[in-house]
Amino acid sequence: MARSGRSGQKSSRRSPKRLVLGVFIFAFAALIIAQSAPQIAGVFDPVRTSVGDRLGTGESVSIWSRISGQAAKDARIHELEAEVRDLARYKAAAISMAERLEAYEQILNLMGEPPVRGVTARVTSESEGPFAQTLLANAGRAQGVEEASVAVNEGGLVGRVIQLGQSSSRILLVTDFNSRVPVIGEVSGVHAIMQGGSTGSGTLTDMPERSDFVEGERILTSSEGGAFPRGLVVGEVRKSGNGWRVKYAMSEGSAGYVQLIPPPLISKPIPQPEALPADGAAPAASPTQGARQ
Amino acid sequence: MAGSSSARRKPSLWSKYGPTPRLAFGALLIAIVGAFGLTRNDIFGLSFAWPHAALWGAVGWGRVGLSIRPMLVLIAFGFVQDVIFHAPFGCFEIVNLLTYAGSTAIASQFDVMSEPLIAIVSSALLFAGAFLVLWLLASTLEDHPVRIVPLIAAMMTTGVIYALGHRAFDLGRRPGEPVGQPA
Repeated sequence: MARSGRSGQKSSRRSPKRLVLGVFIFAFAALIIAQSAPQIAGVFDPVRTSVGDRLGTGESVSIWSRISGQAAKDARIHELEAEVRDLARYKAAAISMAERLEAYEQILNLMGEPPVRGVTARVTSESEGPFAQTLLANAGRAQGVEEASVAVNEGGLVGRVIQLGQSSSRILLVTDFNSRVPVIGEVSGVHAIMQGGSTGSGTLTDMPERSDFVEGERILTSSEGGAFPRGLVVGEVRKSGNGWRVKYAMSEGSAGYVQLIPPPLISKPIPQPEALPADGAAPAASPTQGARQ
Repeated sequence: MAGSSSARRKPSLWSKYGPTPRLAFGALLIAIVGAFGLTRNDIFGLSFAWPHAALWGAVGWGRVGLSIRPMLVLIAFGFVQDVIFHAPFGCFEIVNLLTYAGSTAIASQFDVMSEPLIAIVSSALLFAGAFLVLWLLASTLEDHPVRIVPLIAAMMTTGVIYALGHRAFDLGRRPGEPVGQPA
């Protein structure tokens, strides 16, 4: 049962291999520790995005498909399917809402939201591992995806682009533990932060003390912080013990496609130019300055 | 009678091959399973845990002793796993190599080839150890204890499939036998 003798005889022959194995393990441990520095971790980003590009666009087209023209037809079908999917989603909502919205905006003299632009991409892989919960979509810079774009599917908010390649995007899911989304209750108007951490539902934190959500109301993005546009459906709120949890809406739309919307553009306030003093006179002193003088 | 019939039994095609084709076949199998794992892991709405296929190689290949080529293959798989799981580079390489080292250590101490009980227990311990290391690494590097249930589910899937197909990761050379001699 127990092996003895032979292993002892072979130990001298195996020692270089053991040394190599030890060196490998030590080197990778050192590599992990080194990546705790963001500067060093950033060095590996191009490698990651490059491999992600290859994984993200891993549609191999056979030679026969190229010769027979089937590949071109398939590509066209995919393109049209994506277009139909987009159009079907917006058609019903757009018809009923557009006129009302316009009327409301006129009544309120409100500056409307800019039209939604975006790129629809296919989800090529998803990692359910112990590390960050992410998706890989087959659209990147070349397709017009921008840094920190917001990903939505038929159900609602999916996540945010955290790594952008030439033809792939890695999306951090709202279900990830590190994900934080500023949200607002559609009916109650209560603001909160939704924290990921479970595949089924997210936790609502940082709520006002004297306000409560309405059980079953929809939770939307609040656009606080400027990372997400306002009004994207995040999920449905449910009471859970003393706290509130959000059942993700993205789970309802799992057709394998996401739309990558550019992040909201918030222009920086332009500082007002100081009034130049006339005839080189010193600028008028403020009351505080006067008091100091 | 029984002895004569077994003597006449033809050796299987698999037993004719040496370590190199077996290593290549095992690596191909891991790559195929890993590639399918990139797609959506739900069928009819039921989500299931995908196995960490590289661990099959780490456990199976380690049973015949230390060798450089399996180490390099495991490092390559670890690199791809790092990218797929968005883990810091080096995590899955360490998990794979530590499992491989554990498998070779057990094989050098016990006769895992002809003792089924030891083979089963050692494989179970190695898979459990691998996922424990992975959990520790992930929890340390992510600054919070990561969910353990998906890891246990993945460990179960990995272990069950390995139990069914462990022969595909047998390099065919017992520890101490000369290189290239088939089992």
